[in-house]
Amino acid sequence: MRDAVVIGAGLAGLTAALRLARAGRSVTLVTKGPGGCQLSQGTVDILGYTPDRVTRPLEAVAAVDQSHPYSGIGADRVAESVSWLRDELGPELLVGDPAGNFHLPTAVGALRPTALAQPGMVAGDAVGGRTYAVVGVRQLKDFPADLVAGNLARSKAPDGGSLGATVAWVDLPARRGEADPTSLTYARAMDDEAFAAKFARAVAAVAGEGDVVALPAVLGVRRLGVWRQVRDVLGREVCEIPLPPPSVPGLRLYEALLGMVRAAGVRFIQGNRIVGFTPGDGGIESVTLAAAGGARHLKAASFIFAPGGFESGALDVDSHGRISEPVFGLPLTADDAAPLIPSVFWGPHELFEVGVRTDDAGRPVDGSGAAVHDNLFVAGGIIAGAERWREKSGDGVAVATAYRAADQITGGAR
Amino acid sequence: MKRLDTDVVIIGGGSTGLGVVRDAAMRGYRAVLVERVDLGQGTTGRFHGLLHSGGRYVVSDPGSATECAEENAILRRIQAGAVEDTGGFFVTLADDDPAYADKFLAGAAATGVPATEISVKEALRREPRLDPRIKRVIEVADGSVDGWQLVWGAARSAMAHGAQVLTYHRVTKIERDGERVAAVICRDEKGGEDVRIDCTFVLNCAGPWAGQISSMAGAREVAVVPGRGIMIAMNHRLVNTVINRCVYPTDGDILVPVHTVSIIGTTDIHETDPDHLPIPHAEVQQMLDAGEAMIPGFRKSRALHAWAGSRPLIKDSRVSVDDTRHMSRGMAVIDHSQTDGLAGMLTIGGGKLTTYRLMAEHIVDAMNRQLGEERPCTTADEEVPGSEDRRLYTVTHRLHDREADRLDDQIICECELMNRQMFVSLLNEQPDATLDDLRRQLRLGMGPCQGGFCAARAAGIACSEQAIDAERASGLLRLFLKHRWIGIWPILYGQQVRQTALDHWIFNGTLDVEHLPQPEEEIVR
Amino acid sequence: MSKRQDERAKELRERLNNELQRMSLDMCVKCTICETSCPVAPVTPLFSGPKFVGPQAERFRDGESVDHSVDYCSSCGTCSVVCPQGVHVAELNSLARAVMKAEQGVPVRDQLITQTVLMGKAMTPVAPIANAVLDNKLARIAMEKIVGVHRDAPMPTARTQSLHSWLKKRPARTKPATRGSVVYFHGCAGGYFEVDAAKKAIEVLEHIGYDVIVPEQGCCGLAEQSNGLFEKASASVRKLDEQLRSAGTDLPIVSTAGSCTGMLKHEAHEILGIHDPELLDVGTRIREISEFLMELYEADELPTDFRPINMRLPYHAPCQVKSQGMGTPAYDLLRLIPGLEVIDSNVTCCGIAGTYGLKKEKYEIAQAVGKPLFDMIKDTNEGLAACDTETCRWQIEKSSGVTTVHPIVLIHQAYGLGDGE
Repeated sequence: MRDAVVIGAGLAGLTAALRLARAGRSVTLVTKGPGGCQLSQGTVDILGYTPDRVTRPLEAVAAVDQSHPYSGIGADRVAESVSWLRDELGPELLVGDPAGNFHLPTAVGALRPTALAQPGMVAGDAVGGRTYAVVGVRQLKDFPADLVAGNLARSKAPDGGSLGATVAWVDLPARRGEADPTSLTYARAMDDEAFAAKFARAVAAVAGEGDVVALPAVLGVRRLGVWRQVRDVLGREVCEIPLPPPSVPGLRLYEALLGMVRAAGVRFIQGNRIVGFTPGDGGIESVTLAAAGGARHLKAASFIFAPGGFESGALDVDSHGRISEPVFGLPLTADDAAPLIPSVFWGPHELFEVGVRTDDAGRPVDGSGAAVHDNLFVAGGIIAGAERWREKSGDGVAVATAYRAADQITGGAR
Repeated sequence: MKRLDTDVVIIGGGSTGLGVVRDAAMRGYRAVLVERVDLGQGTTGRFHGLLHSGGRYVVSDPGSATECAEENAILRRIQAGAVEDTGGFFVTLADDDPAYADKFLAGAAATGVPATEISVKEALRREPRLDPRIKRVIEVADGSVDGWQLVWGAARSAMAHGAQVLTYHRVTKIERDGERVAAVICRDEKGGEDVRIDCTFVLNCAGPWAGQISSMAGAREVAVVPGRGIMIAMNHRLVNTVINRCVYPTDGDILVPVHTVSIIGTTDIHETDPDHLPIPHAEVQQMLDAGEAMIPGFRKSRALHAWAGSRPLIKDSRVSVDDTRHMSRGMAVIDHSQTDGLAGMLTIGGGKLTTYRLMAEHIVDAMNRQLGEERPCTTADEEVPGSEDRRLYTVTHRLHDREADRLDDQIICECELMNRQMFVSLLNEQPDATLDDLRRQLRLGMGPCQGGFCAARAAGIACSEQAIDAERASGLLRLFLKHRWIGIWPILYGQQVRQTALDHWIFNGTLDVEHLPQPEEEIVR
Repeated sequence: MSKRQDERAKELRERLNNELQRMSLDMCVKCTICETSCPVAPVTPLFSGPKFVGPQAERFRDGESVDHSVDYCSSCGTCSVVCPQGVHVAELNSLARAVMKAEQGVPVRDQLITQTVLMGKAMTPVAPIANAVLDNKLARIAMEKIVGVHRDAPMPTARTQSLHSWLKKRPARTKPATRGSVVYFHGCAGGYFEVDAAKKAIEVLEHIGYDVIVPEQGCCGLAEQSNGLFEKASASVRKLDEQLRSAGTDLPIVSTAGSCTGMLKHEAHEILGIHDPELLDVGTRIREISEFLMELYEADELPTDFRPINMRLPYHAPCQVKSQGMGTPAYDLLRLIPGLEVIDSNVTCCGIAGTYGLKKEKYEIAQAVGKPLFDMIKDTNEGLAACDTETCRWQIEKSSGVTTVHPIVLIHQAYGLGDGE
């Protein structure tokens, strides 16, 4: 029997599995798909808006109200967990200090607060007076360079200073005979050093005025450090701007984390859903995997449930508006969606704050505050209390709650 | 103030107005159509997409049935690109009275509507998702029609015959010269100036807004009864044939395959304000139940978008205002020279999209009579631009086209297979358009992701093509998302919740559109 | 198009319209995860990727097939495995292709290369001659011209003795069974081409205490299915169900044929639309052999007195094993052998995808798909690699030059059971 089964391979599930394996525990990681990393931007946000723009995220974490997933974890442990992950991944993948936010340009030219980012992104941090030479690729439809530059030029840096931007385009197919490559097709081409060099020269030929050359985040997926190669050709700093899915920076994190998890001896089972469980003495005995050919029962001493939220279907709304968590039937903070759905788009969406409430150990609790199962822990987007995308807290919540759950199981919790 | 001079001003850019402007222009009148927003943004774009065979009216309204059957055949000829030959079934469900099918067949024979009873087995073979307990099935010549393609086809035809079509021109005043109409004053909402159009005739085709227009001319306000109906588009074609319930026309009795979706409709509720049409939760649930009755499992399939439209029925003293369905669906024409002593103005109400060409013919005939002109109608004989090859639309068209050109061009809206060239050429033709305006003609953002992946691309291209600057592009992106939401939130359940969550992740999480710098005044058009 | 083809296409299209696969397109949120995992899209722009030809194109399909590029899908099934939302992407593609093939008529080549049992039976008695023909360059060029099988595509090596003739001739076992019986399903390869692995599987199962029953058995129909020959595939799998059930209806069925196991577990149900209780019964009882052994291990019932094998071993998990959603049990199992450093290829697909890589118009694509794998294998160990399914092993051996065995061969060795030949 395994020490733990972790369900879900997003940032939360991978963090939990790695943390447990590092503590010498036998772990099975089971997931339907490859998790949400590649739908994300490849940064680790802690907290970006409260709703005002946050520059000191740990201070903001310390001030969240009681219903927030960070409450009961505390700023110190949030800092400890994301720093641990940053150090596990190393400086080729993640840099930054949880105490301060970068404000990095997005693929529409907004300034997005995040605490840890990939090393090729951080030269884009918006400080007053900075100018960007935005360079788009004609063949790449998800990086609208004119829109990015136009919006950056009309934005103010968080320090109140102004920003400047120029725009230019390169025309460089990722491969012959294709007008519509994805960002990943480009990134794969950049894994070839010769193509990356060709790209860098093409950018050098057109890039306009600007301290930092802002490029779509396609600078290699398996070969890290392509940004450095491009920077050296340009003789200027570069910053990669994350694109909508497929997210190349997200894939870099996913592949690195999964590789570390598997190398650490974790069994990895992908492709089917966990659909239920068998109760045992004082908790859950096994979870049920709907494998091809019928149910398989995965036994473990403890379980960490990190399936995401509404985006993955881990939280379900039926055609009558009833909200449920179908695998364990966990109690949720609300069960009727209708009153939580706003009729206006811009503003809060309370539905996306619905989820599981936990005790300080990270176990789901019922209405009375008692743990539903002694050996079931939750992590990440399933936890109630935050509209993660709007406030830019999803990654930090995932990492901190996964770390908490793993440490509860290993006894490493303080 | 800008000045124009014309014979006839047509007010209203829905199917009635476009039918009329095309008809008038083809008869040699100088014609100008004015519309306060974009074409087909009112009732014309807010229906279930059915091209009536006439079957629906064979019992309740035989006159309409015959008209529909004739006009259906004409539209397939002159506007083939807007019409799909889906065929239709009238189906007796397990709990419906099978005797109604006999009345139906008798009515069809009497009205000249082609109808043939087929076996249940054959119907289930062709539409296997139908409830297997169905009792009788009658096949008719229903089709589906894209209202926006219909009106834009008519608009291009009218313009080819010399008419002007002015969108975003809101009528602010109708001037009289004593007992005659003399001019229509509009506000050009995009250009920001007033436009005076001197004319000898005004045709009020404003549909549910016709009452507001008639009172601007100092005529007694025409009492229009907006009959609100809601529709829900489901993610894919659950059926490839129009499915009608074989009962006396009622709520939620029709499922229409239109383009890549299938649309369930509809309700009929008396409203007062056509600018504020709710989509109540209870009616959504009623539609889902109606769908479930025809297609078991319907509630588990994915709803994409909902909308409400209002039937522009003119008050008819024969039926009570609360029961609009039983009012005649034939059109009503009010000649203000007879009701208000005002010459040169007609107000038109009622009617159906399927018979829009015939209605226009009647209206322009009425104008002819008042003006003492003899100009025959020729609209049934000439295809609109783009439909000259008489090739009917099929759902496979875009897949076929992209198979041919996908290595040479980018696909911007992946759900609806709209490529960059389609978008850019329309944008260049209509550089003032909002993303919604372009959407209606191109189906941008109308598929499963509801703009999640294509909206920012479209805004970015508009910016790069130098049609607009970054501020306006960002404003239009925000406006597009705001408008899409109006049709999403009332049906937010099941798979669409996951999509909406991912879309939020993209727009609010990754792109942070919410925190782009805001212009002082929100961009609304 | 002949009338009969027209009818078949219509029938398939109608079935598809009402099937779970088509309903599953409602689950798609366009997230691109399938695109990023597809092994074919990265090597050729001719394939527009699983999201495009799957849930996206499906909304535009009614009647005629207009998007023939769906045929570039190799049916490896990776897209369905990774889809976080549960869209049956690969199955949608398989059905769309079946409709297209029914309309167009299936090329002679696609019919021929699916006849795996016939090929095995025909070749075994004349093995040296058959092998000489398959190795003969001129003969292969003729084969490419006439039937469209690429001249360099991997072909199995025929053995002089089939598994069943070995079973008849071998001495009775001496060690008594302590755990009851299992039914062994060897698949066409185990029966005719890779007899050695099949023998070793039987010996391992017997070594850990099982009585192994090997019923007469035919082909599962997978190759026919992946070439759009649904009627033939259905007949094959139904016959196999009967044969496997003849050995008993409550015994575990253990198999070394990784992809055929997937056919019985889910593909025949999901793609061919077979809902027979007999199939369900077989599909529920069958275990791929490493899966079976790892289940024993997780229950603390597997003897792990393995002898060390000191070696770096590249291991490749085939698509059709991954698509069963049971993880990579062979990798987990091999890692229990002391001294054996198992390196997972971390490559999605070897390119062969059943019969895809045999076809002359797909051969180059398949080679490009597999190239990172061939390189990784050569770099890891030039002498030996492991992989669970036969066509993938042939592809890897042919393209990398590295001898590639079923993982059970190493387990057999680690249990000290000799070389088996």
